[in-house]
Amino acid sequence: MIKNLRRASQAVFLLIFLFLFIQTESKGYDDLGYPVRLFLDFDPLIFLTTLLASHTVPVAFYLSVILIVLTIFMGRVFCGWVCPLGTLNNMMGTLRKARPIGNRRRLYRWKYYILLFILAAALFRLHLTGVLDPLSLLIRSLSVSIYPLINYAVRSFFDTIFFWNPPVIVQGSEFIYDLFKRSVLAFEQPFFVQSAFIGLLFLIVLGLNLIERRFWCKFLCPLGALLGVLSRYALLRRSLSEGCDACGACETLCQGGAIHDGDRWDLSECLYCMNCDDLCPRNAVSFGFSAKGEPAVLDLGRRNVVIAFASGIMSVPLIRTTALSKPGYVNPRLIRPPGALEEKEFLRACIKCGECMKVCITNGLQPTLFEAGMEGIWSPVLIPRIGYCEYRCTLCGQVCPTGAIARLPLEAKQKVKIGLAMIDEGRCLPYAHATPCIVCQEACPTSPKAIWLEDASVKNREGKIIRVKRPRVDLDLCIGCGICETLCPVIGQPAIYVTNVGESRSKTNQLLLPGAAT
Amino acid sequence: MNRRGFLKNAAVVGAGLTLPGSCGLVFRALEASERVDLAVAQGKSPAQITKAAIDVLGGMKRFVAKGDVVVVKPNIGWDRTPDYAATTNPEVVGAIVRLCYEAGAKKVKVFDRTVSDARRCYRQSGIADAAGAAGAEVSHIDDRKFRDVRMNGLVLKSWPLYVDVLEADKVINVPIAKEHGLSRLTLGMKNWMGVMGGWRSRIHQSIDESLVDVARAVKPTLTVLDAVRILTANGPTGGSLSDVKQLNLVAVGTDQVAMDSFGATLFGFKGSDLGYVQLGAKAGLGVMDLAKLKIKKVQV
Repeated sequence: MIKNLRRASQAVFLLIFLFLFIQTESKGYDDLGYPVRLFLDFDPLIFLTTLLASHTVPVAFYLSVILIVLTIFMGRVFCGWVCPLGTLNNMMGTLRKARPIGNRRRLYRWKYYILLFILAAALFRLHLTGVLDPLSLLIRSLSVSIYPLINYAVRSFFDTIFFWNPPVIVQGSEFIYDLFKRSVLAFEQPFFVQSAFIGLLFLIVLGLNLIERRFWCKFLCPLGALLGVLSRYALLRRSLSEGCDACGACETLCQGGAIHDGDRWDLSECLYCMNCDDLCPRNAVSFGFSAKGEPAVLDLGRRNVVIAFASGIMSVPLIRTTALSKPGYVNPRLIRPPGALEEKEFLRACIKCGECMKVCITNGLQPTLFEAGMEGIWSPVLIPRIGYCEYRCTLCGQVCPTGAIARLPLEAKQKVKIGLAMIDEGRCLPYAHATPCIVCQEACPTSPKAIWLEDASVKNREGKIIRVKRPRVDLDLCIGCGICETLCPVIGQPAIYVTNVGESRSKTNQLLLPGAAT
Repeated sequence: MNRRGFLKNAAVVGAGLTLPGSCGLVFRALEASERVDLAVAQGKSPAQITKAAIDVLGGMKRFVAKGDVVVVKPNIGWDRTPDYAATTNPEVVGAIVRLCYEAGAKKVKVFDRTVSDARRCYRQSGIADAAGAAGAEVSHIDDRKFRDVRMNGLVLKSWPLYVDVLEADKVINVPIAKEHGLSRLTLGMKNWMGVMGGWRSRIHQSIDESLVDVARAVKPTLTVLDAVRILTANGPTGGSLSDVKQLNLVAVGTDQVAMDSFGATLFGFKGSDLGYVQLGAKAGLGVMDLAKLKIKKVQV
C-alpha cells in the first residue's frame, strides 16, 4: 500500500529531523557532527529569498535545487512525504473528523499571497521568510520553546522522585533519567525569553488542524505555495479510470484538499499522500507519469496579486523607518554573536531559525522581540547575564544556515569583538564598598587578560585601610565575550557589563580613535 | 593510628622491652621514621613521575584500601588544552586513577565544577578521556547533589559541598600549580572551589579565610600537585604558551598546607607569602615551614 509507504517516509524523515535537532548540541569538541540545518539547506524558499535579500547564498543551499527539480517533476511530494512540520500537522489533524474541503477552497490563495508578499519584500532586501518558512518556524519553535518545555517536564518529574527519595524506586528512576540525559535531554535545562510566546504561536499552528486538517499546509505555508507554483507542470499526475462514479469518498480524506466537486483535482494542492489511490472503492484512482488530463488551475485574482505584491513592497519602508535605522542610534545591548555580519547585512541574511540559540553552549544567545526592529524579530542577541560567549567555541557560526553568522576559524573568532565591557564603579565591590573581589579578572579569557587589577588602598567606615585590587578594562584587548558580566557576583544589575560599542562588524559603532595606542 | 602516634608507641614499647622479640618492632619503627612527608619526582613522563612520587610515600596501597570508593579531584575549571597549563595534566590524573584501582579501589570518581562550559572543559582538558580510559567514572556535576556542610570556620558558617566528596572513602586532590590574581597562586586548597556549590565566587571577598574553612571540611587523604607545566602569569585561565613553564615535576603529600607551601617555592615564593597557607598553619591544618618536613626528591 503506497499510503503506508508514505507514512513510513514521513516517520523516517521526522525521526531524522529530530535526531539532527538533538544532535545540534556541543559534545565538548570543536566541531559539531550533524546540525539540523541540513533540512534548511534543501529549502528552496530560503534559497530564493536569501539570494534576493542578501545577494549571497552559501554553497550548501544548492542542495535545494534537488527539491526544485523533484517538485517540477513530481509535484509537492515534499509536503506529503518529507516535511517534518507537515507530518506533525498530519498527526494533529487526525484529532479532527475528516471532511471534504468544501468552500474553504478559497483560502488556498492566502498562502500564495503570503509568498508574494515575502518575495516582494525580499526583492527590496527585506528578509521576512524565516518568520513563516515551515522549517525555520519548526526549528525555532522546538529550540526556543518545545524542547526546553520537554526538558523541564522530564527533569521536574525525575527531580521530584529524587528528592522524595523512596527506596529502590529512586535507583530505578535515576537509571532511567540517566538514559534520558544521555540520549534526548539537553546537557543543561535551556531557558529562553519569549519561550511561551513562540511556543504559543507554534501550538496555534498545530491547533489550526482542529479547524481544518493541515490548515497550515493548505492555507498558510509559503514554502508549500512556492512548491505549488513549481509543480504546475508536474508530470506525476492523478488519473481516474472509467470506473469513477464521483462518489466523493476520496474528497473527504484528501490531505491537501486537492479533490473537490467529486472528481476535480488541483495539481498544485496535491500532497501525493495517496489516500485517494488507497481507499477508492472502485479502484479507479491511479498516479502515473504518462497521465493525461488538464488539472484545475487556481485563479488568484489579478487585483489580489497586485495588492499582495504591493503590500510586500510597502512593508519595506514601513519596517525600515524604525529609529534604529537612524544613523548613530544603536541599541547598545544588541550584542550579536561573533562572526555576525554588519547589522544591515545580518538582517538581510538571518532567517530566525534559532539554531544558533539551540547550539549556544551557555544559553546566552536569546531571541529578540523588537530590540533590532520588527525586521529583526527572533534574531539572536547575546544576553550576558544569562550566558556569555565561550572563548574557544565557534558553534553558532557552524550551524548558521545562511552565513548571517560567518563560520570563522577559532583564531579569527577569538579576535572578533562583539562589544566592550565597562565597569559600574558605583556597584563594583572594590570600588564602592571596600570589599575585595576579582571574579571578572579571574575569568577573563584573553591572554593577556583584558581585565587587569590595580592595587588600591581604601578606607572602610571604621577608617581602617583595606587593600583591594580594582578591576580595569583594557579596551584594546576586551572582546566583549561577557563572561565577566555573567559571573559578576553583584546579582541582578551587574557591576561590569557589556555593550556593543566597539563591535568589529560595525564601522560606525566605535569608541576608540583608530590607530591610537591606549 | 597516624605516623606520629605509631612512633611514640613504638618508642615507648621499644624502650620498655628488653626482650629479643622486640627487635622486630624497633626495626619497624626505624623504617617508619624514614617515611617522608612530601615526595617530589621529576622526569619526562607525567604518569611515571606521579607513580614514583607516590611510591616514595609508600605506594598507593598506603592510602587506598581494598573496596574503597575514591574521589580524584583534578582542576578541570577552564576550556583549555593541556599545553596551556590551565587544567591538571590528564596523564597525571590517569596515572592516579590506575594506581587507585591497582590498590584495590572499588570505584574511582573524577569530576570538577568547572567555570567555563563543562562539556568543553572535560573534553578539551583531555581529562575525561584519560580518566575514562583508566576506568574512572567521569561525571558532570549534578546540581542536586550539594549538601550544606556546617563549618563554623573563620568566615564561612556553612557552605554546600558536593555529596560525592563528602561520602567518599578517600579523596585525592590533584591540583595544577598556577598564578592567580587574588590569592597569588592557586594550588591545592584553592582546588576545593571545584566541589563548592552555590555562588562560590563570593568567597573572593575573603579568599584566604574561606579557602582554609573549605579545606578543613574536605580533608583529603592525599594531595598530588601537578607541576608538569605551571602557569606563571594570566592565571588561572592562561591562554598563552609564553606564560607556561615546563617543570616536569609532581609533588605528593598528605598535608594540605605543606603541599601549598611547597608549591609556592615553584614560583619563587615562600609559603608565608600566601595568605591561606599562613592561616591554614595557624589554624592547625598543617605545617607551613618546609624545614620541619622531610622532603625527598627523585628523578625518573
